Amino acid sequence: MAALNPFMFRQGNSLLHCLDTRCKLLWVCMTSLFILKADFLACFIFLGVLIVFIKQIQIGVKDTLRQLKLFLLFLGFIFLARALTIPGDPLVFFHGLTITRQGLNQGGLVALRFFLVMVTGLVFSATTRPASLKSAAQWFLKPIPFVPEKRAAVMISLALRFFPLILQQANETANAIDARCGNLQKNPIKRFVRLTLPLLKKTFLSADHLILAMEARCYGEDRTDPEFEPSGKERVFILYSLGFWLFLFFFQYASPLSP
Amino acid sequence: MTSPLLETQHLTHRYPDGDGGIFDINFSISKGEFIILAGKNGSGKTTLIRHLNGLLLPQKGEIRLYGKNILKDLTLTRKTVGMVFQDADTQIVGDTVFDEVAFGPENLNQPRNQINTKVIAVLEQLDLIGLKDRNPATLSGGEKRRLAIAGILAMDPEIIIFDEPFANLDHPGSQSLLATISDLNQKGQAIIMATHDVESVLKYASRMLIMADGRLAEDGSVTDLVKKLEFYGVKEPCACKIAASFSWQP
Repeated sequence: MAALNPFMFRQGNSLLHCLDTRCKLLWVCMTSLFILKADFLACFIFLGVLIVFIKQIQIGVKDTLRQLKLFLLFLGFIFLARALTIPGDPLVFFHGLTITRQGLNQGGLVALRFFLVMVTGLVFSATTRPASLKSAAQWFLKPIPFVPEKRAAVMISLALRFFPLILQQANETANAIDARCGNLQKNPIKRFVRLTLPLLKKTFLSADHLILAMEARCYGEDRTDPEFEPSGKERVFILYSLGFWLFLFFFQYASPLSP
Repeated sequence: MTSPLLETQHLTHRYPDGDGGIFDINFSISKGEFIILAGKNGSGKTTLIRHLNGLLLPQKGEIRLYGKNILKDLTLTRKTVGMVFQDADTQIVGDTVFDEVAFGPENLNQPRNQINTKVIAVLEQLDLIGLKDRNPATLSGGEKRRLAIAGILAMDPEIIIFDEPFANLDHPGSQSLLATISDLNQKGQAIIMATHDVESVLKYASRMLIMADGRLAEDGSVTDLVKKLEFYGVKEPCACKIAASFSWQP
């Protein structure tokens, strides 16, 4: 039995679970755009909202942070790069490098925004079945001329289906390598090659098997259309979200404290 | 004698590298039969069963379903001849148990309410209804195998092919799966099972095919062929050996 990673769908009865996927997709796009313009205060308030969602979905916060450690490391690099390169009032001198107050501010804000976008995506993917995401994508693409919406939707759904499988296989391959003291190899290129080649082979084999299994069950583009199950709360949810962000932006730009 | 559901005539498929394949296979399957397909690794079992479902196409000879060449309607073939693969993980496409079972009927473009009714009925039949919203990745090996069968049953097949169904299953999982398969057979579905574990299915099967070097070496009743299994590199059931040893006692 495989463990669920935080991005995998888990069943539940939270508000986000009940909402129509089209509405959630719209919410994610809208929220991501707003986050890119938000200041520290707005970001922290939204972080609070996300924590409430995460608690409702019943994903362990500590466990999630542990699994996202590589991403957090990446954010750390972004923070450092910003802190060291943005000119302003110097705070720390170290071997010819200068960390500025403006750099720290900007680095912190950019890292926080990235983090919020990622957690929003996590909340979305943990409450949305990939099949319904595929259906929503198909629904949004349908009015666009010359776009084969069914084919695009299947590509999305297979990518979503395969991503956790590849992560799981990477983990298994890494364990198999470490079980034979592969962790003693310090050269990162050799380690990368040793992990990547078997992983690619496994991934292509799995893809082959999946194609056979789909063909065996008559897979084709002319399939029964997806079914949506709106809960009736979608409009209210989008209006509240819009109101929430407009309220935050009003304070961000109109308050006397704003720069 | 009833007319066969499916028959192969001089079925041949040689792989491009010249190594392996199947050669001149002739046999037929009738409604409600339970056939064991035995043979050592590389004997051509998987190649043969992939032809029966239309996943591989014959290079010579033909396969006839209801008397018609399967190439005329591959969709009907895949609907009628369901296939449960060895590795259930790679067969599962849906992200919930319900979606996985609905995948086949959706491909057949059936109306949504008909799909929903069918899926619920199949989940109830295989005792998976309590798991319908679960992510298949979180199921046990036995549950995944039953889910793979449910995905096939939702398409109303006449024949179900199992490729090594007991691989990676513990004893209770195997027993539960075997009970499910036997029940399907009792209800009229023809079963073809490619397996090394002949002992488990011996009492349910009515017929045995033995493959060797890509050819159908034997086709006959289980009782007649069970003593020949070792000759073809398949383990003879212990029960038969014990029975034989007792019969030699004075």
